[in-house]
Amino acid sequence: MKTNNKEGFVKRTKRYLLLFSFLMVSISYSQENFTLNGSITDSTNGETLFGASVFLEGTTIGAITNEYGFYSLTAPKGNYTLLISYMGYNSKRRELTLNSKQKLDFELVEYSTELNEVIVTADEPEMAVLRKPEMSVSKMNIATVKQMPVVLGEVDILKSLQMLPGVTNNGEGSGGLHVRGGAQDQNLVLLDEAIIYNTSHLFGFFSVFNADAIKDMKLYKGGIPARFGGRVSSVLDVRQKDGNNKNFALTGGIGAISSRLAAEGPIFNDKGSFLVAGRTSYAHLFLMLAGEKNRASFYDLNLKTNYEINENNKLFLSGYFGRDILKFGDVFDSSYGNSSGNLRWNHIFNERLFSNMSAIYGRYDYNIGFNSEDFEWLASIDNYNLKYDLKYYFNDGFKLDFGASAIYYEFDPGRLEPTSNESAINPLKLDIKKALESGLYVNAEHKLTDRLSAQYGLRFSLFNRMGGQALNDYENDLPVVFNSRLGIYEEGNVIGETYYENRNSIEAFHNWEPRASLAYQLNENSSVKAGFSRAAQYIHLLSNTTSVTPVDVWTPSGKYVKPQLSNQYALGYFRNFKDKEYSMEVEGYYKTVDNRIDYIDGSELIGQEAIETQILNGESRAYGLEVLLRKNEGKLTGWLAYTLSKSEQRTPGGSAGGLGINDGEWYRTPYDRTHDISVAASYYLNEKWSFGGNLVFQTGRPVTYPNGQYIYEDISVASYAPRNSDRLPAYHRLDLSLNYKPNKRPKAAWKGEWVLGIYNVYNRKNAASISFGQNRETGANEATRTAIFGIVPSLTYNFKF
Amino acid sequence: MKNIRFLILLFTSLILTTSCEDVIDVDVQNANTRLVVEASLDWEKGTAGNIQTINLRTSTPFFESGSNTSVTGALVTVTDLDTGTEFSFVDENNGSYRTNEFEPFLGHTYELEIVYNGEIFTAKENLNSVPDLNIIGQSREDGFNEDDLEVNMKIQDPPEEGNSYFFKFWKQGELLPYFEEFDDEFVNGNVVDWYFEIGEDEETEKKEAFQPGDTVEINFYSISPEYLSYLRILINQIGGVGLFDSIPVEVKGNCVNETNPENYAYGYFRVTQMVKASYLFE
Repeated sequence: MKTNNKEGFVKRTKRYLLLFSFLMVSISYSQENFTLNGSITDSTNGETLFGASVFLEGTTIGAITNEYGFYSLTAPKGNYTLLISYMGYNSKRRELTLNSKQKLDFELVEYSTELNEVIVTADEPEMAVLRKPEMSVSKMNIATVKQMPVVLGEVDILKSLQMLPGVTNNGEGSGGLHVRGGAQDQNLVLLDEAIIYNTSHLFGFFSVFNADAIKDMKLYKGGIPARFGGRVSSVLDVRQKDGNNKNFALTGGIGAISSRLAAEGPIFNDKGSFLVAGRTSYAHLFLMLAGEKNRASFYDLNLKTNYEINENNKLFLSGYFGRDILKFGDVFDSSYGNSSGNLRWNHIFNERLFSNMSAIYGRYDYNIGFNSEDFEWLASIDNYNLKYDLKYYFNDGFKLDFGASAIYYEFDPGRLEPTSNESAINPLKLDIKKALESGLYVNAEHKLTDRLSAQYGLRFSLFNRMGGQALNDYENDLPVVFNSRLGIYEEGNVIGETYYENRNSIEAFHNWEPRASLAYQLNENSSVKAGFSRAAQYIHLLSNTTSVTPVDVWTPSGKYVKPQLSNQYALGYFRNFKDKEYSMEVEGYYKTVDNRIDYIDGSELIGQEAIETQILNGESRAYGLEVLLRKNEGKLTGWLAYTLSKSEQRTPGGSAGGLGINDGEWYRTPYDRTHDISVAASYYLNEKWSFGGNLVFQTGRPVTYPNGQYIYEDISVASYAPRNSDRLPAYHRLDLSLNYKPNKRPKAAWKGEWVLGIYNVYNRKNAASISFGQNRETGANEATRTAIFGIVPSLTYNFKF
Repeated sequence: MKNIRFLILLFTSLILTTSCEDVIDVDVQNANTRLVVEASLDWEKGTAGNIQTINLRTSTPFFESGSNTSVTGALVTVTDLDTGTEFSFVDENNGSYRTNEFEPFLGHTYELEIVYNGEIFTAKENLNSVPDLNIIGQSREDGFNEDDLEVNMKIQDPPEEGNSYFFKFWKQGELLPYFEEFDDEFVNGNVVDWYFEIGEDEETEKKEAFQPGDTVEINFYSISPEYLSYLRILINQIGGVGLFDSIPVEVKGNCVNETNPENYAYGYFRVTQMVKASYLFE
């Protein structure tokens, strides 16, 4: 959608505003109502709880706490029993006479800190949420994540999320997530609201999230709330702990790969708290790089502090800094990582209006030094983000979120710097690209009847690719041309250059992004939900490799690269069984993405000033069915997840001519998985022993194999089949873990825990890739499988003090 | 010096090189058989360059070996488009077609024509001059691995932009050659230091580093930018494509089937000037 259609713009604006005001009218308002608000925290450390519920028993009136533990509910005057509950915590009941507006804060007690043996019982949100229209959302408590067996004993929230339906990875040893057939760059990953551009350490073996510093996380696979924007597939919202505001505490762990230590406690005369968490790997112990000269290590640091100015004002400061350091013999030196900082101000205007303002900085950068060649390669992306979010609790039936945000980006796609006078390399600096992305949104949670509730909202996003650089002009305006004689795509002919002044924009885009979902409760135990969401994505990760790498760079939309636009439709059935002991969630989805680029054969993206000469514009689509069956209570808890899905893309030649990539036919994306089955279980034997297990089965990843060979220049040259028309063998594995808590005296300050994990118990050599080549000794062609993890046992010791 | 983009990509692929690898059986698809043109008219600097051979073969299924792929009975001619001279290549009935009369001229454009099975294949290519290749000795510390021997070379890239080069290295006694390519994009007009080292493959022992007493033969070609694009894809895909490499593709050459474009040929028609050298490691 370009800005040239002004009339259409005005019409659409009117239409959306009209629709919105129509919905507002239906909100009833009674003078007899009073509002109750407050916050819900953990009793031992004072951490605010996100998603805890406060309900008036015997009514349908209730509220869920927001990211900052704040809740507000409005009910008619009367006597009630309040039920306060949160997953993993003991519920609390309290009598209440509501005859004036009131502020009530609650503290909940976590199960595991209790003296007696307890059986895990379910509460929202792990059991199916029936009444709320929220769908396509996966929440995971950090305690659940910590119970799951993991490779090399390194707790990893991204790998745990992959156990859920609709979420997959690109094979072992590759970072990031693919959500509902979407690409990795289509996920908005937020750590305390700061955008994280690369979620993995050591090429995807580990994630950048240190579980000791994380409070909770929420993955929106669809039905993305209007307050989020900028990515078309999903949002992963990860929040750091605030820090214990009651006692000083130390937690840590010693594992096979890394050691962790976190310190937290109250500061500012109990007006605030802090958290400092660090994690570092042992450079020499990393198994994958056993060679003496090669080193790979990483570290990260999480910081958070908050200060309560008064009852209605609170400040938060959080930061993340992570780095990977790689050294390959005398050839390469490299480091890369994310940094972010965020200052937030929570302000409660009154018992119904909550606000938060954030100023956020984020950066990802890498450098590679080539010692033998005397040069260094550097690239980075920086962003400055200002946002203001408000939530207004009109009444029990109507809540409104609204706000605005602006992100300023600076992309440095690469610099080549000679590191000595003898270097034969000429210095090179690609143009810095600048852009401003802004958004305005409003979103309503609306209870239409006792059974029917809706969530609907609208985001308006604007993207301005700013000047200050020159762009190539191409013959016939074609950066890529089809050479019909040879049947290949080639770079277009440059006929000149246009310089765009700083004050001028190169291109501007805007999009309306409506989001809506509806829930209808069929009976006490089941409901159906439907949702639609549209999202726009203005920045894109350039990657033409099988697996995304740390040297891939982001690029903004502009004259040649258009914003990606997705439409997603979802339909779901949710049911709780046997008094909520079991729950089932079934969802189907259909998603289309316009303007998904793909790369021409032989494309070169590194050090590439004119990205437009390497790409063709296409589209993608994905659809699937997800089933999640959970057992929420008892000694044995866990889930079975099954996904049946398809993900494809098509890249026609368009104005460049020719049929396009793969002759313009649909082809599978690398993250297409027909079947994906995950079973996660944990068994609580007694207060000392517990066990965990994962079982995973997936259809093999689409890949491109040869379909012929020929002798040319004394070697056998493989000729490859159409893009992604083959598949790796199916991927499957079983992991087991055992937790042992030796401490018999629960009152003792020091609490230790041993975690023994076995990853890939039956030692299956799952192919991460299969490559084809000619054996240099025999001359025969052969297929070589690369398997990353065989059976990997690990032992970790965790402690709390 | 090595190709810079290649180096940056290599960086990403190194991390997996020491993980577990084994050879397995895999079912692959079988595409239609195609004509393969190996028309490499290479003029060694300082020689007459009259004798040239063109090889025609067919493609086979990927895992097939030992089958006879020679193509006989084709009519093969090359024309110097600047002078109009036509050179006929004589069918030697073993897949090779040969002439003793070829006349190479720098800057000329040549056209290949093959008539085979009633279909006409054509291709055009320019002949560019090659700079001298100076072998300046051997070292251990310059290459990827400071324990392994490499041979060092110097090349003076000419001042104008757009020069492209191809190396073919052959370690005496080994079955297969090694290929490298580069262009002057980042080094235009400079003296380029190049080295060649064989990285020892510790796990499979299929590759062994140079030892004193080993000889390496070096062919250095000046090639067209189009052929460089072709070779770049081909070389990237030799020896297999891993997780952090570009998704592999069918490499399309410049031999066009004028009669039935769908039945295009593999391979390439190149015309180059080249220099040969060899080096004995001490």
